[in-house]
Amino acid sequence: MYKLLLSWRYLRTRFIALASIVSVTLGVATLIVVNSVMSGFVFEMKTRLHGILSDIEVAAPLLGQISHPEVHMRIIRDVLGDDIQSMTGVVRSPAMVTFTVHGRQMTQQVMLLGIDDESFGQVTDFHPYLQNENKKEAFTFNLEESGYPEYVRDSGWEYRRSKAQQQKRIDLMRRQQQAYYDTVAADYIADNPQLYQQTAYTSPVAASDDDRAIDYRPLPAQAPDFDKIHSSNQGLDASEIPATGSYTGRDGKTYRKFKPYDPHAEFRTQPAAEDFFDPEKDQHTGIILGLAISKRKTLDEAGNKRDFYMVRPGDDVQVIFATVGQNAKPVSENCTLVDFYSSNMHEYDSSFAFVPIKELQKVRGMMDPLTGDSTVSSIQIKMKPGADLDKARDALIAKFPPEQYPYDIHTWQDTQRPLLSAVNMELTILNLLLFMIIAVAGFGILATFFMIVVEKTKDIGVLKALGAPSSGVMSIFLGYGMSLGMVGTGAGIALGLLFVRYINQIAEIVQVVTGQEVFDPEIYYFSEIPTIVSPMMVALVGLGAILIAVLASVLPALRAARLHPVEALRYE
Amino acid sequence: MSNFESKIDAEDSVATLQRPDKALMWTRGLEKSYRKGSLAVPVLNGVDLEIEAGSFTAIIGQSGSGKSTLLHLLATLDAPCAGEVHFNNRRIDNLPAKQREKLRNEQFGLIFQFYHLLPELSTLENVLVPKMVQDGFFSYLKNKSNYLKRATELLEMVGMGHRTTHKPAELSGGEMQRTAIARALISDPSILLADEPTGNLDEENGDEVMETLDRLRQKENLTVVMVTHDNALAQRADAVIRLISGKVA
Repeated sequence: MYKLLLSWRYLRTRFIALASIVSVTLGVATLIVVNSVMSGFVFEMKTRLHGILSDIEVAAPLLGQISHPEVHMRIIRDVLGDDIQSMTGVVRSPAMVTFTVHGRQMTQQVMLLGIDDESFGQVTDFHPYLQNENKKEAFTFNLEESGYPEYVRDSGWEYRRSKAQQQKRIDLMRRQQQAYYDTVAADYIADNPQLYQQTAYTSPVAASDDDRAIDYRPLPAQAPDFDKIHSSNQGLDASEIPATGSYTGRDGKTYRKFKPYDPHAEFRTQPAAEDFFDPEKDQHTGIILGLAISKRKTLDEAGNKRDFYMVRPGDDVQVIFATVGQNAKPVSENCTLVDFYSSNMHEYDSSFAFVPIKELQKVRGMMDPLTGDSTVSSIQIKMKPGADLDKARDALIAKFPPEQYPYDIHTWQDTQRPLLSAVNMELTILNLLLFMIIAVAGFGILATFFMIVVEKTKDIGVLKALGAPSSGVMSIFLGYGMSLGMVGTGAGIALGLLFVRYINQIAEIVQVVTGQEVFDPEIYYFSEIPTIVSPMMVALVGLGAILIAVLASVLPALRAARLHPVEALRYE
Repeated sequence: MSNFESKIDAEDSVATLQRPDKALMWTRGLEKSYRKGSLAVPVLNGVDLEIEAGSFTAIIGQSGSGKSTLLHLLATLDAPCAGEVHFNNRRIDNLPAKQREKLRNEQFGLIFQFYHLLPELSTLENVLVPKMVQDGFFSYLKNKSNYLKRATELLEMVGMGHRTTHKPAELSGGEMQRTAIARALISDPSILLADEPTGNLDEENGDEVMETLDRLRQKENLTVVMVTHDNALAQRADAVIRLISGKVA
């Protein structure tokens, strides 16, 4: 009882000791803040890193292919069993995207991914990162009428229509201008015929067959009627002699006009109006670009930073990539930008472009035109939550050993291994260093306690004279150390949690006071500082700090316990 | 103390030593020396004394005659280099630490020249300290009301009933010493060992303290051993033991 009472009284009356545990408080608070912020960052970063990467990827080399992907998928399902949630095939090719900004061509290098509309979204977190509201709900590669975000409000079909109309107006003006020039030129020529000797002009294109010189052949007595044969599918009817289309030659014989097959007939007829590609109504193959590909920083009138979008949904872009196979050739495709993609991972947002897998397979020669069988560049696998990715990867490597298969099999963490391990090491070192702060605080407690023991020598003597055992005297000081540690740790936890709770406000205040931007969302791609408070971490930090306070009070407490009562009482 | 007398004949564990009658506490051949570097400074050179139950014994001597050391040996605060201390028919100077602590806590009441109250605790709490030391946490809480009653009663008896919540720093020397007396009596000890209880007090306060001590001795039938250098104070005692250079004169 006296131990508790005295520990409590010492705690309440010795303010210098409370000062010595301020360092414990600060250490604990710092540890909690740093751990929470780092956890928040790591979590956000992992989410973003994982974003459009599937859990496991079985990838063919660049320009290579995985034939019969459905067979591969079946084998993979056999190997991994029920751990698989879903799989999808992806075509992957380095490519160049060219778009026109104010009449000037801009070309950027991208990684072109041909994805399946449905299954790709099940394997990766693709859809939430799309910017168009409609596409997040129901994904297609079609240009949308609406749903584009505020920063590219002026996008979509309306933008495309007005742009096409504008282009048509410009074309019309050009033609009218040209017609005016033509009349001026014609008048000039008419006025000055001697300057322009007209030469005979013959069209390089042949006229219709009907007008051409026809190759006349003798009409056989029983000439076959091809139309009849074709329509009735019956044998020749010799009695039917064509009434028209015959011709009597100079030799008196009757010939049938023979119309040969015209391979260019379709070019001679004007296609229907709706078959023309009309940018007002039609789009090319849809393409989705990473947001960072299309935007540049610019300044507005006030000098503030602002984003400038070089290309926006509704614009046409040209994509150049290589075909697969031994004699790879560059091919070029027109695509229409239908949406942006923004995972807030600059590495991804500045390099990925998505198109429908079928189109890419067709153009790159990855589809058999007769059977429709197609190949892919990689198979992306999503595992069920909690599945061991490394184990699954090893099982797949064992099934497709690199000695026999040209596949690169890796998990998403393998792809980002250097970054993730760097962050983990950073966190470990930081924790170590900050715990050192608390250890230093422990030495402060040690020194303060020695002084308190010296100050209390007489009291210790009295207690011993009154029959208190050495262990009791020791526990007074151990209890005092522990209560100091608890007070310091409790204050530290409260301070740390408060700091974490209001960290964004604090960052703003620091920014106002110092004029230095503490947290630039542009750099980190987070709108505010992310934090995750793990109760386990808080408990461990608290326990560690209390333990250090108790350990620091062990030596002074031992000294107090060892004091000889007579010596202590004589002490003056 | 009648049962004590009847037991004396049965006790023969210290057959070599003469066993005095009626003595509550007695010593034989007590020697104590302190080390100063390599030099041994003898303080007590074979002290034999007997203290009768219910008596008021004064130990007087010059400064440095070893009277405080003798009291410490009697109170088992220190161990003698040679000789024995007996209390209640038991040799106590070589008891294990735990039993000596129990003895000090329950059988001895200690009063010091410099009062030695704990400055963080109030008067009442200071008086209760021996009980807190004696009991565990829960048994103390259980008996707290009894202890409080007894402590208040004792404080009334020493004339401190009106100052129970004051800290020692707010008390005068005499008040502090009276509080210390109350603390020494809380455990109902068989013997009160006082080390110059008035040594630090002026005459008026000293007299007051001595009167309190006398009154309590009569009322509680206490055995008192008092160390002092004041011959006048020693006159109040039933027996006077004079200590000259480490020996009973």
